Amino acid sequence: MLYAQLFVNGLQTGALYALIAAGFSLIFGMTRVFHAAHGATFTLAGFMFYEIHTVLQWGWLAATLGALVVAAIFGVLVDRWIYNVIRRHEGSFFTLFVASFGLAIVVQNVVAIVFGRGLVTVSTPLSRSVEWLPGLYVAPITGIVLVCALLCFLALQWLLTRTDVGIALRALGENADLIQVYGLTPRRLSQYAFLIGSVLVVPAAILTASTSGLNSAMGHHIMLISIAATIVGGVGSLRGAAVAGMLLGMAENLSLAWIDPQWSEAVTFVVLFLFILFRPGGVYGKAVVS
Amino acid sequence: MQTSTVRVVRAMAASVFFVSASSAWAQDLVIGGLFPQSGNNAEYGQIFSSGANLAVEHINADKKLKGTLSIVYEDSQALPMQGVIGVNKLINVNKTPFVLTGFTGVSKAIAPIAARTKTVVVNGGGVGPDLADLGEYFWNTIPLINLEVRTLAPYMVKERNLKRFALVYVDDALGQAVRKELGEALKSSGGELIDSFSVPVTAQQFAGIAARVRDTKPDAVYIASYGGQQAQIAKQLRDNGVTQPLASYSAFTIASVLALPEADGAFYTSQQVNWDKGDAITKRVLADYKEKYNKAPSPYVLNYYNAVYAFGELAAQLQKEGKPVTGENLLAQRRKSPNFEFVGATVKFADDGTVSAPIQVNQIEKGAGKMVYAAPAAAAPAAAPAAAPAAK
Repeated sequence: MLYAQLFVNGLQTGALYALIAAGFSLIFGMTRVFHAAHGATFTLAGFMFYEIHTVLQWGWLAATLGALVVAAIFGVLVDRWIYNVIRRHEGSFFTLFVASFGLAIVVQNVVAIVFGRGLVTVSTPLSRSVEWLPGLYVAPITGIVLVCALLCFLALQWLLTRTDVGIALRALGENADLIQVYGLTPRRLSQYAFLIGSVLVVPAAILTASTSGLNSAMGHHIMLISIAATIVGGVGSLRGAAVAGMLLGMAENLSLAWIDPQWSEAVTFVVLFLFILFRPGGVYGKAVVS
Repeated sequence: MQTSTVRVVRAMAASVFFVSASSAWAQDLVIGGLFPQSGNNAEYGQIFSSGANLAVEHINADKKLKGTLSIVYEDSQALPMQGVIGVNKLINVNKTPFVLTGFTGVSKAIAPIAARTKTVVVNGGGVGPDLADLGEYFWNTIPLINLEVRTLAPYMVKERNLKRFALVYVDDALGQAVRKELGEALKSSGGELIDSFSVPVTAQQFAGIAARVRDTKPDAVYIASYGGQQAQIAKQLRDNGVTQPLASYSAFTIASVLALPEADGAFYTSQQVNWDKGDAITKRVLADYKEKYNKAPSPYVLNYYNAVYAFGELAAQLQKEGKPVTGENLLAQRRKSPNFEFVGATVKFADDGTVSAPIQVNQIEKGAGKMVYAAPAAAAPAAAPAAAPAAK
């Protein structure tokens, strides 16, 4: 039954990782900005949810809306006021990365000052497991995480394939110069990418607040997961990010059946290294020859 | 002629002013604080510095020293590498003869630098047992984990009839020390450490570990971690079907654990503090801390208050004797007069720079620690506090 339990845990962790990675993958794939502050968006959204739900006690709906608004505003403003300014001055990929990394540190410290440096959790009976079978415990929130991940990816798939904005975004990812010929503005599309990518992280932030808790420094961990899942899944591929997130979550949990828990996180990076060595394009990525 | 005389007089007056002023400035003392101010353990940095800052305020208000005492802080992030960078800056740039620190890993990393530069380093938060062996310049104002584990194990086995323990420990110097101590302490008490699970310092997902802990069917689960991670472990163990009693050590005395609903009922050890000691310093700290932070000080607060207080006492004695306040002189002075009237206890530094204090077992009840057992003072001969009220 241990294997079944680890499999269920892996599903939950994997779905959360997929949700976390999707936003980063979308932003990176469409705009080529290595948005290291994606973890900061996660932290801000999570803490805003906690503040409204647990401290102000305004309920789940208001808290979710608050988290969505904060994530969306943060994402758009970062693109507009930081990345766009750097791009205008022909800043390199590395300049954008350093700016983003610096921003993540600033946000981490601001969150620590405003919300405190300790761990905060959103208490809910939904995170309490119940025994389904002898030795197999499943929490209602596991189902919520899976449904949430499924809905988010379906919505995203619809958005990118069936709407004008989605198709334009994909075009932006393919060739940012060429889309201007069609009268589209890369700057505006970039803001859409940041808006959608930032909003995508909100369900994961809320669910993490309820399952494992939040602290101001967790942005770095979120970034590591995002980067690993994006590379394993294939840069720019949302389907890849979903599959990679699930793969990493499953590997991290199922490995506990054979190895010491101390090494379970390292399994994520073993998977990453294997992909870099043997399939550098990722699960759904395209091989690029430069 | 008259003009030149006036100039000479003015120059002499100015030089007298500057010489006297510089000698007054030379009396100002700076000590260092090497605490985590960012990262997963920043909550401890806030607690530690609140105690140290209060002591500095009291020392300056009492004009205990010639000149003003101040603290310069560096962020250790509770990581050994950052700790080494921070302590080098405090010693070489800020020229501090006395540095406060915490965390076993950081303490072990900086102790050789302290010994080489003859800088006194005082730990009031790290509890790894080998912190007693870090040299003459490394002092502790906190009883170490071996005392805590040796108090908890017999209590849990004999009083609570919880004999089979599983251990979830962070894979660092502290966690490894707890694993060794707990195994031995349980064995000698008639219990057993049935399995142990190490986790990396950065881990945040423990559902899988909960499944493995459940599989071992323990009577109780001991958590040896710190900061946000120990709260995450406690929450995720409970969320994932581990219903057995939880136990831990003094690191549980932080708000994010005490306030956690899932930690309710957990046992943890801490040093005994005698709030009824009745002396002026204990009353003053209790009153001023409550006024400033609207809560009672935790043992960590007292440890760092006491560390700075000890510095104030030793530095004042040195200044009285006309000696410079250096690490070397502070050590010599402590050896000459090792007894201190600390907050909540009268203590004597042992030759290895440690202080002992009797330990109490607490149980978390509605967001606060309630003492359920006080080990007799005989178990810790160097300190003599009398009573042990509830930890907050």
